[in-house]
Amino acid sequence: MTSLRAQIAADPLVRIAPLLEVRKLRVAVAVAWGFLALGSAVGLAAVAAWLIARASQMPPVLELSVATVAVRTFGIGRGVARYLERLASHDVALRGMTSLRARLYENLAEGPGVALAQVRRGDLLARVGTDVDDVGDVVVRAVIPAGVAACVSLLAVGIVGVFLPSAGVILLLCLLLAGGLAPWLSARAAAITEERSSTARAEMAARTVELLENAGPAQVDGSLEPRMRGLARTDRDLTAAADEGARTAAVAAALQTIAVGLAVVGALALGIPAVAAGTLAPVELAVVVLTPLAAFEGVGLLPAAAVQVRRSRKAASRLLELLDETEEARPSESRSVTEATDSTDSTDEGVRTTALVAGWDGHPVVTADLTLAPGRTVGLVGPSGVGKSTLLATLAGLIPPVDGTVGVDGLDLAGRHPEVLMVAEDGHVFATTILENLRVARGDVTEADAHAVLDRVGLTEWVDALPRGLDTLLGPDGATVSGGERRRLLIARALLSPARYLLVDEPAEHLDPATADALLRVLVDESHRGDRGIVVATHRLTGLEQADEVIALRADPTGPAYVAARGTQAAVAASNADYAWALAQESAR
Amino acid sequence: MKPLDPRLLRHARAARGYVVLTAVFGVLTAALVVAQALLIAAVLAPAIQGDLTTLGAAGTSVGLLVLVVALRSAASWAQERFAVRAAARTIAELRESVVAHAVRLGPRRLAGGEGADVATLTTRGLDALEPYFVRYLPQLLLAVTVTPATLLVVLGLDWVSAAVIAGTIPLVPIFMILVGQMTAGTSERRLVVVQQLGNQVLDLLTGLPTLRAYGRERGPRARVRALGDANRRATMGTLRIAFLSGMVLELLTTLAVALVAVGIGLRLVHGDGITLEAGLAVLILAPEVYLPLRQVGAQFHASTDGLAAADRAFAVLDEPVPPRGTTPAPDLRGAIIRFDGLTVRAGDRATDAPAGLDAQVTCDGRVVALVGPSGSGKSTTALTMLGLLPADAGAVTVTGAGSDGPVDVSDLEPESWWRQITWLPQRPLVGPGTILDIARGATDASDDDVAEAACATGLDAVVRDLPDGWTSAVGRAGAGLSVGQRQRLALTAALLDRSTPLVVLDEPTAHLDARGEEGVLAALATLREQGRTVVVIAHRTAVVALADDVVHVSAKAHA
Repeated sequence: MTSLRAQIAADPLVRIAPLLEVRKLRVAVAVAWGFLALGSAVGLAAVAAWLIARASQMPPVLELSVATVAVRTFGIGRGVARYLERLASHDVALRGMTSLRARLYENLAEGPGVALAQVRRGDLLARVGTDVDDVGDVVVRAVIPAGVAACVSLLAVGIVGVFLPSAGVILLLCLLLAGGLAPWLSARAAAITEERSSTARAEMAARTVELLENAGPAQVDGSLEPRMRGLARTDRDLTAAADEGARTAAVAAALQTIAVGLAVVGALALGIPAVAAGTLAPVELAVVVLTPLAAFEGVGLLPAAAVQVRRSRKAASRLLELLDETEEARPSESRSVTEATDSTDSTDEGVRTTALVAGWDGHPVVTADLTLAPGRTVGLVGPSGVGKSTLLATLAGLIPPVDGTVGVDGLDLAGRHPEVLMVAEDGHVFATTILENLRVARGDVTEADAHAVLDRVGLTEWVDALPRGLDTLLGPDGATVSGGERRRLLIARALLSPARYLLVDEPAEHLDPATADALLRVLVDESHRGDRGIVVATHRLTGLEQADEVIALRADPTGPAYVAARGTQAAVAASNADYAWALAQESAR
Repeated sequence: MKPLDPRLLRHARAARGYVVLTAVFGVLTAALVVAQALLIAAVLAPAIQGDLTTLGAAGTSVGLLVLVVALRSAASWAQERFAVRAAARTIAELRESVVAHAVRLGPRRLAGGEGADVATLTTRGLDALEPYFVRYLPQLLLAVTVTPATLLVVLGLDWVSAAVIAGTIPLVPIFMILVGQMTAGTSERRLVVVQQLGNQVLDLLTGLPTLRAYGRERGPRARVRALGDANRRATMGTLRIAFLSGMVLELLTTLAVALVAVGIGLRLVHGDGITLEAGLAVLILAPEVYLPLRQVGAQFHASTDGLAAADRAFAVLDEPVPPRGTTPAPDLRGAIIRFDGLTVRAGDRATDAPAGLDAQVTCDGRVVALVGPSGSGKSTTALTMLGLLPADAGAVTVTGAGSDGPVDVSDLEPESWWRQITWLPQRPLVGPGTILDIARGATDASDDDVAEAACATGLDAVVRDLPDGWTSAVGRAGAGLSVGQRQRLALTAALLDRSTPLVVLDEPTAHLDARGEEGVLAALATLREQGRTVVVIAHRTAVVALADDVVHVSAKAHA
């Protein structure tokens, strides 16, 4: 018993339900309207059956007047109540989705950066949108229909049972068949299809995307035909999987039909002898036989509801996974509570690391120490994948160090520090105006500030060419911005931020050499002209000649990457043959 | 949008058979529905009137009733079974045709958002056809079989009830159209608002890492809730209107059944020309007349998504494919490829890139570098030369050694042209397969040859770092390898497959550090030694320095 309760409590839908902040009364109202709607249909069938049977006995017309009014009322009531039920249930669901979305946002925003940093790809967060919708749908498509079906079924069983208890029992059993077994089979069918098709589905998507993304190359290298045949093969697997599930789904559909028929035949078989025995009035026989015909509409929706529950449960568990990550990561934050060191005099200014090992989930990726003083630029170079971004994220406090400490202005870093800003390579461009995008850095950016900073990164020409200048709306996730413009816009935003230390990841990607060098120089200038400290991670070396320090990282197949050389570019080039050679290759022009 | 799009039947063979089958089931179901109603009435009426005292006396009718119930269940079983299969087959057929067609439409159509749209449509969007096939289409066919059949039987039993029903049925579409017209503009406007609000919330969620980096994540919290509430209000506004048509449908149909029942009752009590048996049969049949109509209404939503997806698929399929050339390509060895004022408009920008490119590539074993700033049209030039993209002005022509004259590449029979070219785009297409198999390709290169080529391109270093070495599996679209590693692998394959006289390389050094670049330079030199002509798009000075010819590509903004 307790294990069942524990099992229910562990169900993702049950666990996520509190986040929907659903008010029980609203659900009850929706179920009540639904009950009135389908109850009207049952009532219409029962009263109409009584009316016609009684009328055939030619009683005084007045005796039928209540029944005729009731039939007409039920006829109108059904449509109206159904309309109100749909509105009420959608309102409940939409309120739930709003709360869930807000709570998710709050949890993700409040939690330490780890969860977000690990969910680095935007599409994972984007999926949150559809997942929330799927969880909300469970209210409209499953919870309320199930409540309505249960109430209406009881009503029908009650009506029939009052006149002939045995027929009531038969009806109840048939309703359980259609509303219990059939939905279970439908959910089972969905599970079978999904299980059988998941590999084929992933393969199909991979093949399709591969073909569409490489349409040109596949045609030129002659592999188009075999690749199309491969797609057709995967599609056949998918069809076979769907067919497998359909076997069970078809049984569920047949059960629904058979249940109605059985209830009617059962009522006839029990009712006729009862009439003969005098325990059932002839007029009541009509009610007992014809009411079941209208009683199955509610349970008819339940197979679809069962499938919806499955889908919603999956969505809920994905959302919970995201939330749990945030929760789990929380204690690590309190572990290294910010503590003031004895002095905060000017010698402590800067970002300083001690015996730092950076990595993910406790797995060391790179070990390197650096000191970033205001007014200085440090270049972090090394091949792609060596761990430059990981190191930056650790310096920014977005992920906790695997070992060692990061100090900012004399304080141990715990979580994000307001003076340290990491400018990620995949920074988000919001679907709003250019000016508002820049204001993400600082709320009080004026148009003049914006123009000035865009000029520094070389975007003046671009903005001037846009129809509405700074007020131009950028597409969702900057879809209307080219890769190079996007990079420069991200740098411009970073320059506007009040943060003292900027950690810039790959500013030169997607830019031609001249623009890349110019942008790198802007960053070096920025640090030299003021009291900002800047770390630039790049795999391009030109442009770093002005940097105060260059740290060259090298991968080590047996352990974390390490610092191969450090110093000014000239010094590194002098001491490290690899670096000198790479630099010469790049700058030979 | 038509409820049953004829294009669906034209494009998907599986859909045709399914529609025929469903129509047959529709006729069968109609017969069974009528039989069931008549049998129940035939047993029930005498029982009520006291003419039937034992179940045995109605044995035949009850037996037939059981048979009808069994047959109806069998029909539902079969309908569901075949519907799912037909849906899966139709989706697959459409997917394959759309992909094949999109590929033929060329890279420009697939560039940018449109390619992603086609990918979403073919991998997920078309799945919306399943509810259309499984839920909506059967009801649609029942509406044209069961509805008229039951109505005819009602007419035979009691013309007054038939008149009531026949009078209300036309009201259903009339009212739905009226409500639809009244609300169409409003709900479309509101739908746009709903979508915008939804996108804004998503935008905030997707941008959360960035907001966090700036310490601005707390600001939009209230905004997420406010947007959600605004979204709910806007959605409820749409639904209040959208559900109206559903209410009209339910109201009309249920009220009509009620009126039929009351009418029968009042005529029975007056002994007015209707028997109890007929009355009961009509009472059972009346809801059945409307049931398919109501189901069509209820499943309408399922149908719109599916039909919209199909519509997008047809939009792709109906797009004319540029005609394929038929002139066999001349032998490229010693041929001359000329660019005469080649101009291609750059997507949505008011820019020509390249703009008026004049150049010549002589295929006699030389390295030609295409240089120019980002966005000047270097890759576009290569695509045009390959015949994958049409020129907007000017032309790319090829003149074979000893042939009569220049042929425009768009007139060349593509396979004969492509057979002579190896093309490495910025993200080369490799895999699936093992590294060794991919490098070797269709050639009979020995292990030593492969090792030598790998050494030149730097693939050997990649292989050394992989746990399974040469037998490491590469996934679809090169999964498991970085872009730089894929480039080295593709370059190695290009070195080994000497059958193509022309090799086109698009920024082979883009994702490489200086060491990796050295490998590319070595490979270029080897290709030249093999007597093959190389057209290379380059940013790096070292590559340009190695080239025999340098072609400057430039863009020009429209005035």
